[in-house]
Amino acid sequence: MKQGIVGSSINRVGGLARVLGTQMYVADVKLPNMLHAKLVHLDCAHARVRSIDCREALKVEGVRAVLSAADLPRPIPRFGPTYQDRPILAEETTLFHGEPVAIVAAESEHAAEVAASRVKVDYQELPAICMVTQALDPSAELVQDPAIRGQGPFKNTNILDEWSFGWGDVENCRADTVIENTYTFPIVTQFAIEPFTFLAEPTADGITVYSAIQIPYGLQRILAAVLNLPLSRVRIIAPDPGGAFGGKQHPKLEPLLAYFALRLGRPLRLELTLAESFQQARRAAAEVRVRSGFNSDGTLVFQDIESNYLIGAYADIAARVVSKASYVAAGPYRVPNVRILARALLSHTPPSTAFRGFGAPQENWAVESQLDAAAKKLRLDRVDIRRKNLPGPGEVFMPHDPPADGDWAECLEKAAEAVGWGQPLPEGRGRGIAMGLKAGPTTAASYTIVRLHLDGSATLYSGTSDMGQGARTVFSQIVAEELGVALEQIAVVMGDTSVVPFDLQTSASRSTVVMGNAIIKACGDIKRQMAELAAECYGVAVDRIRVAPGMVHLPEGDHSFVEVLQDRFGRVKGEVIGVGSARNEYVKEHPLGGPPAFYEVVAIAAEVEVDRETGETEILKLIVAGDVGRAINPQAVSMQDEGAAVQGLGHSLMEQYILDAAGRIRNLGALDYRIPTTKDVPRELRSIHIENADGPGPYGAKGVAEGGILATAPAIGGAVEEAIGVRIRDLPLTPERIWTALNRPPLPD
Amino acid sequence: MKSFEYLRPGNLAEALDLLERFGGGAKPLLGGTDLTVRIQKGQLDPDAVVDLKRVGEIGASIDAEGDTVTVGARVALSDLVRSDLIQTHYPALVEAASIVGSIQIRNRATLVGNICNASPAADTVPPLIAYDASLTLVGLGGGAAATRGTVLRRDIPLEDFFLGPRETVCASSELVVAVHLPLPQQPFGSAFGRLTRRRGVDLAVINMACAIDSSGITTFVFGAAGPTAVVARDESGELARPDLPRSRRDELLQSLVAKTNPISDVRSGEEYRRAMLLTIGGRMLLQAQQRRIARGRGGR
Amino acid sequence: MSDRTIRISVTVNQQRREVEVEPCETLLEMLRGRLDLTGTKKCCGEGECGACTVIMDGRAVNSCIVLAAEADGSEVLTIEGLAAEGRPNSLQQAFLDSGAVQCGFCTPGMIMAAHYLLLNNPHPTEEEIREGLSGNLCRCTGYGKIVEAVQAAAESAAEPASKNRR
Repeated sequence: MKQGIVGSSINRVGGLARVLGTQMYVADVKLPNMLHAKLVHLDCAHARVRSIDCREALKVEGVRAVLSAADLPRPIPRFGPTYQDRPILAEETTLFHGEPVAIVAAESEHAAEVAASRVKVDYQELPAICMVTQALDPSAELVQDPAIRGQGPFKNTNILDEWSFGWGDVENCRADTVIENTYTFPIVTQFAIEPFTFLAEPTADGITVYSAIQIPYGLQRILAAVLNLPLSRVRIIAPDPGGAFGGKQHPKLEPLLAYFALRLGRPLRLELTLAESFQQARRAAAEVRVRSGFNSDGTLVFQDIESNYLIGAYADIAARVVSKASYVAAGPYRVPNVRILARALLSHTPPSTAFRGFGAPQENWAVESQLDAAAKKLRLDRVDIRRKNLPGPGEVFMPHDPPADGDWAECLEKAAEAVGWGQPLPEGRGRGIAMGLKAGPTTAASYTIVRLHLDGSATLYSGTSDMGQGARTVFSQIVAEELGVALEQIAVVMGDTSVVPFDLQTSASRSTVVMGNAIIKACGDIKRQMAELAAECYGVAVDRIRVAPGMVHLPEGDHSFVEVLQDRFGRVKGEVIGVGSARNEYVKEHPLGGPPAFYEVVAIAAEVEVDRETGETEILKLIVAGDVGRAINPQAVSMQDEGAAVQGLGHSLMEQYILDAAGRIRNLGALDYRIPTTKDVPRELRSIHIENADGPGPYGAKGVAEGGILATAPAIGGAVEEAIGVRIRDLPLTPERIWTALNRPPLPD
Repeated sequence: MKSFEYLRPGNLAEALDLLERFGGGAKPLLGGTDLTVRIQKGQLDPDAVVDLKRVGEIGASIDAEGDTVTVGARVALSDLVRSDLIQTHYPALVEAASIVGSIQIRNRATLVGNICNASPAADTVPPLIAYDASLTLVGLGGGAAATRGTVLRRDIPLEDFFLGPRETVCASSELVVAVHLPLPQQPFGSAFGRLTRRRGVDLAVINMACAIDSSGITTFVFGAAGPTAVVARDESGELARPDLPRSRRDELLQSLVAKTNPISDVRSGEEYRRAMLLTIGGRMLLQAQQRRIARGRGGR
Repeated sequence: MSDRTIRISVTVNQQRREVEVEPCETLLEMLRGRLDLTGTKKCCGEGECGACTVIMDGRAVNSCIVLAAEADGSEVLTIEGLAAEGRPNSLQQAFLDSGAVQCGFCTPGMIMAAHYLLLNNPHPTEEEIREGLSGNLCRCTGYGKIVEAVQAAAESAAEPASKNRR
């Protein structure tokens, strides 16, 4: 790259405001005449509401109104990104711990809080379905009313949907060794440091909603439907989220808040507590039963995978999570015969939503652990058994999908080398290694506008959400590279549907690739226009003009962009507007709606030390080797890998929702839901970038940012097994669980 | 948070008078790291909060007088940890106080506050009991005219202070104003240990202090293993001996741990707790033995 | 204003302020709500995450569990008080240069905790840095680059002619 911009670790754009404390998050937005809201919810998962008495609440000084289902039209408005199943307020029954039954609006947050505590709800607690076995039981009560389930074979069950994928003939193929195990993955939550906060502002002809939503246009569409407003009158302002990890992709309480705000005619703000935030976003728990067949040389013969995901009371995006993750569940390997069955199961737990990895960590936990089990049984090295089965670049490994798009063996080798694979280990220590695979985006629609101003500076408009991954930075680098504009002269505008053009979503590690490609096109559009402007201005034929970043080359000499703009526009002035888009269309015949634009593949290696007497585990080394294509900003890639790996460390060692038998979450909040602190992270945490410029994005880039969490659990699980000699198949690997496995081993099958 | 009155008396008599007037509806406030949290969560709903930080008669320092070290109620844990006096004579207390919460918490939380909150898992309580700590309580005299309205003091051994989870013998009209620690007679060895769910800041799954005094009596104080800290002593002198055979050591330890009553809760299961009391107990015993030997040689 | 408010006098970022606060109002709510200093963030509200860290009378504290009334007569330093005229100090710059800022929500609290650490221990070991920041949760970074940033800031302060490098 001529400029040396791409491939440079320039400082985070937007970083300065963040270190100064001037960055505006949604909770920092204050509007005049603002009211404050507080939710009323029950301390149980499943309940029948008999009555709601708001009289005492309404007497609290400063309270303006209380809204409950009784005040809503029938049928109660429902919403959701795929299934419109979630009511804006619970009607007669609550289906999860934290589902709101009423909402209070008051002049102050304190008054709203006091009033909410005085709303008297008379309810009857009902049994809750919060385990896979319960949800699968055909005689179990139905979580959702069949009346809202539409048509379909699962209407009268707790199965939202079921998917079957595969190829070959699992039933009739022959394998020297067959291993079967069941693995479990707990409910965990994103725990972004920014709790959910929303603000709805009625306007003269519509509404403006502030939300740190990753998908502003998705929220716009859903609000327009719920409120019966045209898209053009629904404005979403989406400040950069204070962490999201997928949990802020889809609407949660915005529809309720917007509805209430319109009724009140005043701006209405709702800030959830951290505990309430835990009740709004989490990852689906899963039980994955895998039967794997191997030849005695370690090559895979078949994978037979049955996955049951406990998705919660409403669908949110769970159907997509389960189908997309299970589709590639067999992993980045050559497997002649595959049978996959996956189910999304409704339950009386908070609706699961997108969370970094999108179902893949659950599958990889199971399938990679199986490879370790096979290696043990066949007396093979765990790196060797993987190497044997990895496809080479360009090799088809899933019969109807794009071939392997990277050198995945290189990821494996580099991770193994970095962790010191094969070197002697002292007693009590172990190493593990695992591959992770996730399918990239299938459909896409990203539009962007770039404006080149008279002084040569540029403004970029993009609907991507910069939630910490550094989208503003990467996009600035692309504009700088393509147009030769200095980085300090680039402004990036995001997060306002009335200003930035349409973007389908920020998810699936897509933005560098999809929006990046759109930006390249927009810059190309500008360069084309610069050639035309120069032709007009200097009287030269367009085909004799060559445009380079920042410079127009004519036969008789060069002119900078600024010169051309000034010479052409003169005193009447003007600007150049470039438009670009990138789309991947929906493919009906494909089970996922389209082939993935790229695969996100990673090798993760870990070295741990376990205290056998207490079960305490220390992670000494954690290595992430990702097939990134091209690291446009190497530091940003490392930042994402490290953060994802530590988040994976969390669900590997310490994170889980603890539910009681009635579905109540007992460890809401920071005190008893433990995430890694500075003292829990590995002494050595490394991100290795495998760059072969073989991605579909700008300069050969692929998507990154989810890699580090895809296979952390099996890598750590394998390391723990080597350290203690016992394999544990349930997460998290808490000290207590490890101790129990060593001292109270389960009865043999 | 519900509403309450905020009161800030300037002297002890005023403070005690306020507590009495509110008849249990007023809570004393020092660091606030427990009180404020509990009010915000709705676990407490006081009519008033009495901020004691400007009451000069409540000590804000750590002083040695004769053979007693006194820690005033206004001393924050981060100051306690830095104190030369405490580091020299009460290493297990330093170890415990250093891991109560984060530095932000320790900059505000007081030793007395940690005690009075009376959580069964309080980290400072086991070492304090192991060091034979006692408390000074003050209250306003009632009854006979001669004592009415005067500030009365009483001292109570810390071991006798706790009645149950979050329940102490301190009346709602009383205040704990100081912690007294006798200077241990050397050679004395002590250790503090605990088990948590993560390596970072955490509440204890179990915690304990082990102390071996100059006469060879070994005292264990187990926390998060019963409604209040459990004190168990080996008076035989056997556990003080580093050369005691392992099986006999385990037998004795088991008999001490048997006095505890751990439960299963959101942080841990009962069986694991029992096992860890033994495992960590063995480690703390070793540490206490080693430190006692070092002290015997004149070391620190 | 209800008749139960208290008037306090508190020096925030070297500026003396007279503020009417409710008894149950926290220092965090006062800073964000009454003084419009929204740099300090609210997350857990129970002193477990450090996002609300400010320096009060020379000590790093969780402002979400300090009552505003307790700050009467005190000096408080928030993230907004670190930089002079919008120019980041060497610690803030180190955070930028080391890649220690992702979503940025934990950043103000993290920087205040790091500032406090360096005030009391200008040359901390890696262990001491991890210990000193163990009360501040971050979900984005994995902490590695945050620790590097504090190390870099400590080193740059040790240089004879330390300057802000952009």
